[in-house]
Amino acid sequence: MSTITQSMDFVEITLDGRAIRVPEGTSVFDAARMNGTPIPTLCHLQNETPVGVCRLCVVDTGGRVLTASCVRPVEAGMKVVTNSDKVLNARKTVLELLMADHPSPCARQEKSGDCELETLAKAAGVAQPRFAKRTLSRGKDDSSLAIAVDHDACILCDRCIRGCDEIKNNFVLGRMGKGYSAGIAFDLNAPMGDSTCISCGECMVSCPTGALTNKTVLGTSIAAGKDTQGFEAEELLQLPVFKGVSGTFLELNRGAIVKRRFRAGEIICREGEFGSTAFYVLEGKARVSLSAPIAHVKTEGGGKGLFKKLTSSLAARDTDVRDGEARDKTIPIDASVDLAYGNPVAELGPGDLFGEMTCMNFYPRSATVIAETDVVAFEMLRNVLDIMMKNKSFRAQIDQNYRRRALENHLRGVPMFADLSPDFIEHLKGSVELRRYAPGQVIAQQGDTARSFYLVRIGFVKVSETYPGGELVLAYLSRGDYFGEIGLLGGGVRTASCTALDHVEVVRIPGDDFREMVERFPSVRQGLEAVAAERQAANQQRMQTVQSVPIDQFLSQGLMEAQSLLILDLQNCTRCDACVNACADAHDGITRLVREGLRFDQFLVATSCRQCRDPLCMVGCPVGSIRRRNSLEVIIEDWCIGCGLCARNCPYGNINLHPFEVMVEDLERPGRKKAVVKQKATSCDLCTHLKEPSCVYACPHDAAHRVDPRTFFSEMLGGGTK
Amino acid sequence: MIFDDLRTIQLRYGFLPKADLEGLSQRTNTPLYQIHSVASFYPHFQLTPPPKADIRVCADMSCHLNGACELRAELETRFAKNGSDDVLIREVSCLGRCDHAPAVSINDEIFTKVTAASAERIARSAIAGEEIPEPHLEHGRVQCASDPYDENARYGVVRKLAETKNWDGVLAELKAAELRGMGGAGFPTSMKWDLVRKQPGTEKYIVCNADESEPGTIKDRFIMTHLPHLVIEGMIVAGLVTGAKRGILYIRHEYHLQEEILGEELRRCYHGGILGKNILGSDLIFDLEIFVSPGGYICGEESALIEAIEGKRAEPRNKPPFPGQAGLWQKPTVINNVETFANVPQILARGVEWFKTQGQAGSRGLKFVGVSGHVTRPGIFEVPMGTPMREVIFRHAGGIRGGRQLKAFAPSGPSSGYLPASMVDVRLDFKALADAGSMLGSGAIVVCDDTTCMLDMTLNAVRFYRNESCGKCVPCRVGSQKMTELLVRWTHGGLTEKQYRADLGLVEELCAAMSLTSICGLGQIVPAPVQSVLKHFREEMDAHVLKGLCPSGICFSASARAGEVQRVGIRP
Repeated sequence: MSTITQSMDFVEITLDGRAIRVPEGTSVFDAARMNGTPIPTLCHLQNETPVGVCRLCVVDTGGRVLTASCVRPVEAGMKVVTNSDKVLNARKTVLELLMADHPSPCARQEKSGDCELETLAKAAGVAQPRFAKRTLSRGKDDSSLAIAVDHDACILCDRCIRGCDEIKNNFVLGRMGKGYSAGIAFDLNAPMGDSTCISCGECMVSCPTGALTNKTVLGTSIAAGKDTQGFEAEELLQLPVFKGVSGTFLELNRGAIVKRRFRAGEIICREGEFGSTAFYVLEGKARVSLSAPIAHVKTEGGGKGLFKKLTSSLAARDTDVRDGEARDKTIPIDASVDLAYGNPVAELGPGDLFGEMTCMNFYPRSATVIAETDVVAFEMLRNVLDIMMKNKSFRAQIDQNYRRRALENHLRGVPMFADLSPDFIEHLKGSVELRRYAPGQVIAQQGDTARSFYLVRIGFVKVSETYPGGELVLAYLSRGDYFGEIGLLGGGVRTASCTALDHVEVVRIPGDDFREMVERFPSVRQGLEAVAAERQAANQQRMQTVQSVPIDQFLSQGLMEAQSLLILDLQNCTRCDACVNACADAHDGITRLVREGLRFDQFLVATSCRQCRDPLCMVGCPVGSIRRRNSLEVIIEDWCIGCGLCARNCPYGNINLHPFEVMVEDLERPGRKKAVVKQKATSCDLCTHLKEPSCVYACPHDAAHRVDPRTFFSEMLGGGTK
Repeated sequence: MIFDDLRTIQLRYGFLPKADLEGLSQRTNTPLYQIHSVASFYPHFQLTPPPKADIRVCADMSCHLNGACELRAELETRFAKNGSDDVLIREVSCLGRCDHAPAVSINDEIFTKVTAASAERIARSAIAGEEIPEPHLEHGRVQCASDPYDENARYGVVRKLAETKNWDGVLAELKAAELRGMGGAGFPTSMKWDLVRKQPGTEKYIVCNADESEPGTIKDRFIMTHLPHLVIEGMIVAGLVTGAKRGILYIRHEYHLQEEILGEELRRCYHGGILGKNILGSDLIFDLEIFVSPGGYICGEESALIEAIEGKRAEPRNKPPFPGQAGLWQKPTVINNVETFANVPQILARGVEWFKTQGQAGSRGLKFVGVSGHVTRPGIFEVPMGTPMREVIFRHAGGIRGGRQLKAFAPSGPSSGYLPASMVDVRLDFKALADAGSMLGSGAIVVCDDTTCMLDMTLNAVRFYRNESCGKCVPCRVGSQKMTELLVRWTHGGLTEKQYRADLGLVEELCAAMSLTSICGLGQIVPAPVQSVLKHFREEMDAHVLKGLCPSGICFSASARAGEVQRVGIRP
């Protein structure tokens, strides 16, 4: 504007018969607006370069065709008509065309009643569009945590694109395709949540319709307490992590981030509790620890007198060694540090972020955090965390934190990597990269060239292999687990696909570094090769099993997956519940058997862990304490915090919680101990300590059997009976 | 250059794998979205692995009149049993082989006068991994009346100008000859050149629009094959007159042979000192290169073409400014059609008087026209401007084939609309055709015999625009789709008088909005075929819509109803 006032060259034009003077270079649109004749538009915003694509701002300047006033500078003597029937009718038809394809009321109209298209259409008197509606939907994109995308409501006005490029210089959004099927796309047409979008919100703020709208996050406001302090958008924009974020967008998400003050000794969060927020420590020190006893459920007794003296107790792995138990030295938790198995306590300070898994994936809290000194922290919901995690400087800081503090423990925690020399770990600190993946995103694709080795930092990774006719889940990996070694050690090609199951963050170790590692440290190589061989053997065995059994109900129920099943012959069973009672008697009164389950033919397949094809129980364990042995049986590691998520996840009800009364430190009164009930997850152990499962033994009607399903049902399957 | 990078990747893999696009983005510091937005815009680029045989049957006017739908349906039947992973059969917009219809592109090689059997044979070779070389249509040069030169005395105009440097003289002669653009719009050439010449600055461009993609338009293909030296000479003269030192000849990617011929001619020019620094020993400079289009009719729109050269999506610009003021890289740019450039040396070598006497009935010069459709001898003919259409269709093209009657003709592809047989005496002239409610356009005469359904032809034309709309502006992007849908509804018949009246009103409103508010000529011209048919063939329209009667038996035949033979033209 300054150049205009400086030059002071004015041009005289006629606007609807009225002579007006405007500075040279003014657009017809602005000339009309400044003289009290606003012209409707959808694609034009004052802060963006005009593009003239919606054609609503057309005016008659006496030419063969009408002209878009937003892109047309005034010329001396120009006669502009903005309100003739010719102009108004053309505009109305353009609106009617857009309304025909518009999902009215769109998300914006529904939420805030300010869809610009619907408003203009109504003002122009477009009621029911006479043109046919769009037949093929262009789809919705729900992948972003902050912004909902409805491609059907997109009118390709280009405002979001200019907002992303011109205003925020983020260069994520563009037009894709051509003609009627054209649309907006992120990067190479990635889902918004998987794209390089940093959720600055500018596109959404620029959008005139419901194509890009603010996603309301469940419980969008964090309850304000006396120690809570909300933020004004301007205040947040001062912080480096919100650089480049649209102020309007933060305004819309007000309440999704608060600053909280915890007094020394105050509990910030407790293990096992559900939550939806993450914390970022600004000031002070906090202590993170596990209060659950580090032990597993051990059932003893019986022997000769069978279920007379069966008792369950808690035992740690150094006193009660179980087959296939992990020897990890650290317990993975939802923070920037891991806890030592022997002494599960650590300190968090300024710059530490914790509760990320809970916030992003809604898993229970993995540990208890107590303010050691007075602590000031941000508490935020996932949409805000998402924005912060996409911010380059914040990411760099988190990255730095991880390299400095956690990488070494992360590697050393896996016994296999124990021999890595300090200098090599130092070297890795410089070359590893933290990468985030959205749910469903493929990290490594079966058949692709293997280029990296990965350690899981946050979330769950599904390892699966495709075979003609389906997909076989080989494993779920969580924090502390690693993958990618088979491809790198073997033929250089990925043998399985690794997919993010939820919001996942992995530590990527480049292939070259991995190769250097296995060359320099033969013990690491041997360890990795041994595990790789075991994994492959197990995978092959499972794959053969899958492929040798016809795909039918039997398979779909996952029964063949089990090596051992407990079945109840319903023709003999009188529903007397003797089996259930026997189980309870055998396990301290806690039954692990529920006489319900899937039915196959005349058999009720009662609960007993069947080592499923898709072991859903493992997904979400906040501390990664439910794992698979190489025999594929599930084992609950000592650091189970008893949150119960696995029990809820198991579709067959095979995991139960066993309560114990234990003495723990009283968090409210430091230094004192108190008796509390802590739970530990257990699954049916088929009474391995007994000759025969107690339920089978107890059945008075010979209805309960423990069988190998493939032999037992082979006749039926072979015979083709149902 | 982004297209070169994309082509290199596509040449290696047959498509554009995501990982390679990401690599390209990092290497060239280009945002991913930019790469995707152009790669997804141009039909030449494939974002997914191609099938072994990618069969694309031309769906537009001339091929449509020559059984393209039946061909496609038959191919679909033949390959239906075969694994669909190997073969993909789809439509493609006009391939520029209208005189040898129907044309089919198989793995980007173009085959003409294709039968289901021949197409199947070629596709099976492709599946077997054999080479399937494209046959060349033109062999040997044809001597044209337009060529002022003996074979060994070409570029006489440039030779003379290098000495005289009489640029004003050139403009004066072109003005006196009243040379107008031959690409369709007919803008006076001397005015365009003069505008660029008067622009300040030294960075200016000459662009030759050899992207002819309008159904029926094949004359530039012929000119580039037989008179490449006139096109190049015309561009050099434009450069010398306007002060532009660089020329770009933008050619559609389906013209492999012409690209070779022009390339060879360019090498000869550089070798002979006609192009480059110090043209013929003078201090004049002019460099000329060929730019192969990544495809799409919209690239023929001059500002879209410029965008494409700049490596962007070929979306037309808002005008003004016109290319003469701010064209390629925002610099003054002369952009003319192939034939316009070829006309320049003719006028300058032989004089304005010669040029004037070439025409008939007051028209000037010679005109190349392509005649296709239901004629005995489809082809490209060099005729005096002002020749009656009857003479072109009946004498040069041998009349209607199979002894049938002329029903309608499009003087210049879909954009000119359809004129009835009764108007066949109209002369091939800017004014005469404009007075007839049509236009000279690019001389793409498409002829329909009395078996033709005019509603089908209207729909075919509108669908072409719908398919080729770039999608930038609302009236064209949405309007062309809605127009298609309205016409499809008409082909089903069964409307009440009231519904029909309402539809006609809606069509009229849509036509007005499209022609008044679309950014470029594509959207503005969509109404032409519809309005012309409603004007000249109204009874036939009424019979369809109200009575369910198609005089040609196309729209309501039993097989069409059963969906056995899908008229490509009436697919939504």
